[in-house]
Amino acid sequence: METEAVGPTPEQKVQWEEEGYIVLENALHGAQLQRLQAAFDKATVECKEDWLQRVARGEAQPTFFDIPDPLERDEIFVDIVDHPSWFGLLQDFTGGETLFLGPQVRSVPVWPVSYTGWHPDVPLSNPLHIKVQIYVEDVSENSGEFAFVPGSHRAGSGPYTRPKLGESMPGHRRLPGRAGTAIVFNSYGWHTAMDNATTAPRRSIILIYEKRTPEKVRPDAFKAIARLCTTPERRALFGMEV
Amino acid sequence: MVRIDAHLHVFAKASDQFPRTATDLAPGAREESVEKFLNCMEKHAIDQAMLVQLGGTQIGEHAYLQHCLKTYPDRFLGIGLIPSDCPDPQAHMDRLAEGGGIVGFRLGTLGGPRDPFAPVDVRTLESYPIWRHAAERDYVLWLYLRAADAHLTAYLVEAFPQVRVVFNHLGICPGEGKFRIDEHGRPRIETPSYNPSQHTVYRLARYENVAVLLSGQYAFAKEDYPYGDLMGWHRTLYNDFGPDRLMWASDAPWIYEKPGYGPLTELVDELLPQISQSEKAAIMGGTAQRFLRFPQRP
Repeated sequence: METEAVGPTPEQKVQWEEEGYIVLENALHGAQLQRLQAAFDKATVECKEDWLQRVARGEAQPTFFDIPDPLERDEIFVDIVDHPSWFGLLQDFTGGETLFLGPQVRSVPVWPVSYTGWHPDVPLSNPLHIKVQIYVEDVSENSGEFAFVPGSHRAGSGPYTRPKLGESMPGHRRLPGRAGTAIVFNSYGWHTAMDNATTAPRRSIILIYEKRTPEKVRPDAFKAIARLCTTPERRALFGMEV
Repeated sequence: MVRIDAHLHVFAKASDQFPRTATDLAPGAREESVEKFLNCMEKHAIDQAMLVQLGGTQIGEHAYLQHCLKTYPDRFLGIGLIPSDCPDPQAHMDRLAEGGGIVGFRLGTLGGPRDPFAPVDVRTLESYPIWRHAAERDYVLWLYLRAADAHLTAYLVEAFPQVRVVFNHLGICPGEGKFRIDEHGRPRIETPSYNPSQHTVYRLARYENVAVLLSGQYAFAKEDYPYGDLMGWHRTLYNDFGPDRLMWASDAPWIYEKPGYGPLTELVDELLPQISQSEKAAIMGGTAQRFLRFPQRP
């Protein structure tokens, strides 16, 4: 994927600073989205039995299924890491020092309770931590959609506590979307997946980034895909160059 | 303030009077008597306790448990077992409970699809009749489920909100092939450092009918007493369930030798140092008294 670092619009920048997230509708579409869906399907078939066995052995959670090593399974999973729909935003927010930490190619089965509760991912003492959640299929309201508390990423907001019922979190905003929607969010902020009252699992990809610090650079972490990282920008993004 | 040990085992030597199935953990010649435990209670100011059947699922194999419950009715309540191939689990449950003292039943499986993506109709689960009967008779269900069944609990808890459910041993659901007996003769369950119950059992905190035992640490911890590596798990349980749905338990007799019963009674101080005295009192007995309905002692 050629990286065309288009930065945020002024409106997006305000949204990011004040609310802590940006919704990018149609960020992936057409043939590329279809290619991603097909790769997701194929990897799911390849890996599911192993996951079921790990669940039975108590080594994996039954409430979500992450495809292991997705970057090594299909180039599309690498190509979305620096996708122009959001990479320019990330570069702007990190001052051009975006470091990719890892992907979660995740299927969440229908369950009476959301698989996770409200939480921030990292404390404010952590370097800026950003996730991009990409809906691989349509995710309607009440189908496990991502939700965020606007402004909860800012120092001095809150304090927030974890409510037993996801829908009772004060001030939260549900973010359903069509397939191909990407949500860029600041991981200091409180977020969750809402309950899924439908009969369809939620399928999404979560890409995890951080503002580069020497401690987080692991030059060997993505060596399996080194052949796909031929530009200096990509090598920097994947931490292949210290 | 009442102090209750919410989960332990007593058993007699296998005999005609007290028949039981011998196991590697509890060979037929081994005895862990109720009198030995009463001495422990006396020494460590424990008022009451929940005796959990060990040594077989058949009615006759509950003889020692029933003997203890009849002999010390104001001291103990009991949890029975149900054979996995029981043709009439409801009758089995009632027969065990009719003598008084046995207030609930321990389950290790729920009997449903292994694939969490498969649709679930609770009425088709093998354990459904047990849950329905527990709802009708107000029996407690005592869960120490295999990992493969962990995801099914939410469906049953939601279907039967009136059933009191107690997850054993920090809510851990042991994985297949992960059990062994350690060098101290205790159960040992190989468990990942990342708490495998984080996204299953802990998510059931929203249901007010679900409680969790703070017990079994020795079987899961990587560190020796006071099991500092499990402090985060305890903090999460405290945050999610709160002291009114957490119950301390010893899991005797496995801990008599190491770390010893006395240190176990202080474990809540070690692993939840930040809680108030009233919260500690709840975890050490108040919650068990209310949730499990222990009788008031004279």
